[in-house]
Amino acid sequence: MSLPDVQGKRDTVKEQVTEEMLKELIHVYICETDSMSLLDIPSTFVSVDADDAETITEKNNQYAEVCRNRMGNDKYVDRSMQTLNGAAKNKHVQTDSMAMVDTATTVTTWDMYDTLRGPDFSYFSSASAASSLKEEVFGSSVNAESDLQLIMLSENFQQCLLVMERNILRNTFQPKLAAYRQLPVLEAMMQVNKHHLGSPVKPGTMEQRQEDTEKSRSQALERLWAFSCELSRGCSVSSMAWNKRNPDLLAVGYGEFDSSTQRAGLVCCWSLKNPTWPERVFHCDSAVTSLDFSANNPSQLAVGMHDGSIAIYNVHSQDNKSPVISSSECPNKHLGPVWQLRWTQQELSITGDEKVEALFSVSADGRISKWFVFNNGLDCIDLMKLKRIHNAKKKAGGNNTEKKSESVLSALTPGLCFDFHPTDSSLYLVGTWEGFIHKCSCSNSQQFLETFRKHFCPVNCIAWCPLSPDVFLSCSSDWTIQLWKQDRLNPVLGFTSTQMAVYDIKWSPKWATVFGAINEGQLEIWDLNSSILDPVAVQPAAPGVKMKSLLFATQTDCVLVGDSDGQVTVYQLKNFSVGESSQTLGPKRSPNNA
Amino acid sequence: MAEVEETLKRIEAHKGVIGTIVVNAEGIPIRTNLDNSTAVQYAGLLRHLTMLARSTVRDIDPQNDLIVLRIRTKKYEIMVAPENGFLLIVIQNPCE
Repeated sequence: MSLPDVQGKRDTVKEQVTEEMLKELIHVYICETDSMSLLDIPSTFVSVDADDAETITEKNNQYAEVCRNRMGNDKYVDRSMQTLNGAAKNKHVQTDSMAMVDTATTVTTWDMYDTLRGPDFSYFSSASAASSLKEEVFGSSVNAESDLQLIMLSENFQQCLLVMERNILRNTFQPKLAAYRQLPVLEAMMQVNKHHLGSPVKPGTMEQRQEDTEKSRSQALERLWAFSCELSRGCSVSSMAWNKRNPDLLAVGYGEFDSSTQRAGLVCCWSLKNPTWPERVFHCDSAVTSLDFSANNPSQLAVGMHDGSIAIYNVHSQDNKSPVISSSECPNKHLGPVWQLRWTQQELSITGDEKVEALFSVSADGRISKWFVFNNGLDCIDLMKLKRIHNAKKKAGGNNTEKKSESVLSALTPGLCFDFHPTDSSLYLVGTWEGFIHKCSCSNSQQFLETFRKHFCPVNCIAWCPLSPDVFLSCSSDWTIQLWKQDRLNPVLGFTSTQMAVYDIKWSPKWATVFGAINEGQLEIWDLNSSILDPVAVQPAAPGVKMKSLLFATQTDCVLVGDSDGQVTVYQLKNFSVGESSQTLGPKRSPNNA
Repeated sequence: MAEVEETLKRIEAHKGVIGTIVVNAEGIPIRTNLDNSTAVQYAGLLRHLTMLARSTVRDIDPQNDLIVLRIRTKKYEIMVAPENGFLLIVIQNPCE
C-alpha cells in the first residue's frame, strides 16, 4: 500500500524553518504548461465546403446502397454475440460512529468587556482557585476558617461592611435624616409596614398628622437624633466643626477641662450617614479645646489642646492615627490651653491662584499666633499680645512690659475667643478674660485698633454676622449677650434671658436676624425680627447634663448642640421665616441698657 | 482584623437586624448568627439572584458594577452586598 510510503515521505521533507529563511526573498515564476488533451471525440458532421466532402458523400451513398441490398443478398449473413458478465462479490466495511455533541453559549456584554480587559477581572475564579487548592491540602473543615480569614482581611470586605451598615441605619433613621435634608418623610410606607397583615392604610391617622402640623405654626425646635457612642459617653463636648468640602462630615472634640482631673482628649469625626459610630477616632494626649477644618486641604483637621499644643491630623485615610504635624516640640508653643483655632484665607498668593491659608490660634497665655509648617513641625509668629488693661485710660503704645506692682501675674491676659471679619480677613476681634473686646488688624501687632467695653466677666464667644456687614455679637459669663456695630463703641442691643453664663453663640447662616445661644441649662434661639426681649424658641437640657457647644448646619436649618455627657444632639428649626436673608440690622434701633 | 470583627458585631447589634451571613465563593456560609439550615437556604438562593442582578447591571454598562441589592418584602428587608468571591447578607426588620 502506498499509505506508509506517503507518511515516510512527509517525515523526511520536514525541515527547520529559521528566522533567516523566513526573511529571505523568494522569487516565484509562473509559466504555462503544454496542453494535455484528455478527451477527443471527433464530430460526425462535415462541412459541404471541406476538401474530402466528395469522397465522404460517395462513401455515404455506397453504404446506403448496401443497406438497401441487404435483405435478400447472399453476401451478408446475420450473426448474434454474447458478452460475459463477471461474478459480483460483496464486501463489508465498518467505521467508528461520529459522536455529535451540541454546544451553546450565551455571551453577555460584560463577558466580552472582561475578556478584553484581561485575565485579572474574572468574578469568582481567583478566589475559588485559591480555595480549591487549599481544599486539596487541608480538608473541608479548615477550608472555612481560611476562607473567613482571607475574606475578613480584604479591604473590599471592609468597604462592603461600611456600605451595609449605612444601609441598615438609613432604614432605621430614615424619617430623621429625611427631616434633616428637608425631604418628605415616607409616612405612607411606615403605615403599610405596621399593617402588613393586609388591612388597608387607615386614612384617619394621616389626617390627624396633618392637623397637628397645621396647629403648630409657631417657631419651635424638634429633636431629630443624637450622635453618641460608648467611646464618647461621659466626655464633655468642647468644640465642633463642619468639614469645608463635605457638609456631611462633622468633627467633634471632647475634653474635660473644667474639673481638676486632666483626662486624655478625643476627636471623633462623624458622618451624617452613621449616627451610631464615628468614622474616625483620634486619641489625643490632653483634653481637646478647639477644632477647625482647613478649606484649602479639606482633609486636614487642626486640633488645639488643653496643654497648649496644636496638632494637625489627616482624616482622609483610616490608618493614620497620629497627627501629621504637631507643635509639641516648638519652643514658641502656647503655655496655656488653646481656646480657639481658625484656618483663615489671607491675601492672595503671588501667583494669584489660591488664597494662602494660615492657622491662627488664641490661647490662655495671652498670645494670638499665626502658625506655619517649619522643619517637620509647626512654628508660629505672634500676631498680638493681649496686654492687660487695668483702667479705662487709653494706654500709650510702648508700655507693654511694664509690670504692675499689685500683681505678680504676667501683663498678658488670657484670650478666650476670636473671629475674623467675613470679608476683610486682616481684621479680627478678640475677646479676653477681662471682658474687653479688642479689634485688631493683622498688620499692626503693637496696638489694638479699638476696644469695646461692656462685659465685666470673661467674654466666651464672639461672632461676626455673616449676612449683615459690620455687626457682631458677643456673649459672656456675666449672663448677657451684646450686639455691636463695628463703628460704635457701645453695644447696640443687649439680651439676657436667664441668670446663667452664656457659653456659645452663633449666627444662623440663612437668616440675618436669627442667632442661637447656649448657656448651661438651655438652648435659646433668638429672632430679632420677632422679639428682642425673649428668645423665640427654648430647648432645655436633659436633667443632669450641661450644654457646652453650638453649631449651625450650613445647608439645612438645623442646630447641633454638644453637651457634657458626650452627646451631640441635632435639632431642627421649624417654621422660621424664610426670605429675610438680605435684611440688615438698621441703626435706628435704640440701644438698650442691659 | 479586630476592627472588622467589631464592625460585624456592631451590625448584628443594630436595631431590627435579624441576622447576618457571610458566604464564600462556593456558596457555603462561613459565618452567621442564624441556624445553619436557614443560612444555607439563603446563601444558595441569593447567590443566583445576585449573579443575575450583577449580570443585568453590567450588561447595560460593563464599566458599572453592583454594590448592594436590597429586597424589601412584607415582613423584612434582605440586603446583599456581593464582592470578589463572597457575599454579605443582612436581614433587617426596619420598624419593629
